[in-house]
Amino acid sequence: MLDKNNCSEKTDEELVALALKDQDFFACLVEKYEPKLMRYVRRISAATQEDAEDLLQEIFVKVYRNLNDFDPDLKFSSWIYRIAHNQVISHWRKTKVRPQVLKFEADEDFLKFIATDENLARDTERKFSGEEVRKMLENLDKKYKEVLVLKFLEGKDYKEISDILEKPLGTVATLINRAKKQFAKIVEEKNIKF
Amino acid sequence: MSKFCDKVLCKIKEEKIEPKPKWHFLLKDYFVWLAFAVSLIVGALAFCVALSIILDNDWDIYRYLSLSPAKHILLSLPYIWIFAILLFLGLALYNYKHTKSGYRSGTFVVLGLSVVGSVVLGSVFHSLGMGRKIDRIFSQNIPLYQNVHCCCNRKDIWTQPEKGLLGGRILNIRKEDEFDIEDFGGIIWQIEKNNETLIRGPVLIIENEEVKLIGEKRTEKRFRAREIRPWAGK
Repeated sequence: MLDKNNCSEKTDEELVALALKDQDFFACLVEKYEPKLMRYVRRISAATQEDAEDLLQEIFVKVYRNLNDFDPDLKFSSWIYRIAHNQVISHWRKTKVRPQVLKFEADEDFLKFIATDENLARDTERKFSGEEVRKMLENLDKKYKEVLVLKFLEGKDYKEISDILEKPLGTVATLINRAKKQFAKIVEEKNIKF
Repeated sequence: MSKFCDKVLCKIKEEKIEPKPKWHFLLKDYFVWLAFAVSLIVGALAFCVALSIILDNDWDIYRYLSLSPAKHILLSLPYIWIFAILLFLGLALYNYKHTKSGYRSGTFVVLGLSVVGSVVLGSVFHSLGMGRKIDRIFSQNIPLYQNVHCCCNRKDIWTQPEKGLLGGRILNIRKEDEFDIEDFGGIIWQIEKNNETLIRGPVLIIENEEVKLIGEKRTEKRFRAREIRPWAGK
């Protein structure tokens, strides 16, 4: 029988190796990543709670099917986020209901982070409230929102974002920089008043 | 165990889902690397043929063709091989980007290294004489090759005795300073040469050797050669 306490003592890599031998150990990985991936899926898609759950189920099944493809050079979290990201995109393509605007779940930490970002404040010569940021984010390109979600909401570093989105490190840095610039431009162009 | 976790495990068990075997992924990865290597090698072969054609091209004959040097260069470039080089460089880039860690390198880095790889490998192939061999095989087996590999058909260029250019196969050696050739239109010409005739490169005045002649048309079937060049090369 699976011992849950036993799960928490093991690293992701060890759990992958155990899950390959005994599928019950896969439950440890599901339990650990379910809340994180649920949030991530909802952040990058316009899915309802039920749709997100179905999508998440497909993601975990795909992860299980591809366990032997896990490359220990990567962090397991980067690998599982990559599968989630690709599955959401593939779901959009299949159902052709890709939202024009990514819906960000209310996340005060993120809004606070962006709103008080020193570089951004310097570029736009002002600081923003969380609500202001939320409104402006709706005008950002999808590719910029993607990196912002990973950087500020999921707390991933550049290397992890590079592994998740399968883009070179330099491109990730450029995207984040441009995202901030576009954000500043939106403020300037639209002269957004709240 | 959460309800969701139960659901996932139930699905896996009910549908008897199993992890794909490791060899499946290894095979896929090897296949992508192989496709990358093949693209690089074929690109290098295209480069060595283009290099051979460019090095063997008679860049100095524009005077006889009443062309400007620039126009002669534009008409002589091996466009089909240049297109093949670009195509296989593109395929090499595509395949590399689809390897497991290919996304980590920037497009221009991969493209730059592929260009260097193709040039180095292509130069090695060229030094082994592979460029000329491939060009000859294509010329002998693909009827339209001469017309499509660049804007000018070499055989047409060297079948202009009025302009002083004649090419063909040596049929027989009459005397020390006279031999017959059959041009690419099937006409047999008597060729005169003398001590002042420049014989370029590794050309051999022997039967069945293909040659190019620069000189002047004397009569209907007689041509005086000022210069004799091998058909392949200069």
